[in-house]
Amino acid sequence: MSEIKELQAVSNVCNQLKKAAGCEFVALALQNEAGPDVRWHFAAGNLNDKYKRITVRFGKGIAGKIISSGSPMEMVDFPNDIIGKITDHPIMLAEKLVSTYAVPLFFNAVPKGVLLIGNREKHIFSERSHELVKESAHLLEQILKSHILRL
Amino acid sequence: MMEQPTNNQQISSYIIHSQEEEIKRISQELHEGVGQNLYSILTGLQFVQSSTKQQHLKNYLHEMTELLEKNIQEIRLLSVELHPPTLTTLGLLPAIKSYIKLYTSTFGILVDLNSTGEERQLPERHRIAVFRVCQEALTNIAKYADTSEVKIDFYWGEYELNMCICDFGQGFKAEETDNTLGISAMKERMHLTGGTCDISSTIGEGTTIEISLPY
Repeated sequence: MSEIKELQAVSNVCNQLKKAAGCEFVALALQNEAGPDVRWHFAAGNLNDKYKRITVRFGKGIAGKIISSGSPMEMVDFPNDIIGKITDHPIMLAEKLVSTYAVPLFFNAVPKGVLLIGNREKHIFSERSHELVKESAHLLEQILKSHILRL
Repeated sequence: MMEQPTNNQQISSYIIHSQEEEIKRISQELHEGVGQNLYSILTGLQFVQSSTKQQHLKNYLHEMTELLEKNIQEIRLLSVELHPPTLTTLGLLPAIKSYIKLYTSTFGILVDLNSTGEERQLPERHRIAVFRVCQEALTNIAKYADTSEVKIDFYWGEYELNMCICDFGQGFKAEETDNTLGISAMKERMHLTGGTCDISSTIGEGTTIEISLPY
């Protein structure tokens, strides 16, 4: 399997989403081939390369929670509006994010990925931004389908 | 003459010790009780799954065994996070190495650990104190330091252990954090073991935590 970050189509979708939604950060996480852990595979607008080393446990953090629940999730004012510990949200700490909106990516009707947009200040994402993230997530599902289902 | 501990120090020591004992008990209970029971259920389900010929039941059991495996892994990690068993069996350095591995994969922050001299077998109470100081320091770094690299140096001397944690991060003004509970707890833990814990920080250069613990 070629690295997802090397796929030009993935980087195009993420960069276009960043521009269209007017956000500071976009990232894509996918469940590992073996085991339940989730890893960030691609980021645009990142401050450092910590995301590459972060592995989120199933059910933990934004990515883990979205994959285990299969539902979108929004944070407006991190760390002020969270349930649980600050350290349960490593990508927020690593990228100094304050607000995020993230949706699941489905493969064969099973949530196996996450597309996230974020800002480094308090922000409520508009309905239009929600739609843009969902549209980009569908595009990524199409692009990545052959990669994921081949595993 | 050795200084006698005050009543307050004795109370602090008692509270910290009881808390650690309770954490250790919960950790063992999770690992050896709940974890083992779930594992027995998993093997039972796998047996039923391989015995049944009905495909829809096979698929359903497969989903259940996957969910159970996730839960077993979660219980195991939770137990290790609470009280790493290596701290009791193998010693301080192996426990810290194992924690660092989990820390880097959680927060993406690289930790360079060096040890000079021969590791001594410290009493368990002292091992726990140093481990908890490292844990608290690394958690604070992940929360506030805005750094990608941390350096931890252990020096096993003839009479004492010295340890230094440098984060090369954004630093803070010491006077603003003098009374924070995390920092006070680190100092108190080391004080109760007969050691010291000094924290210094420079804006833009990072924070250094130095501990010394006489044998």
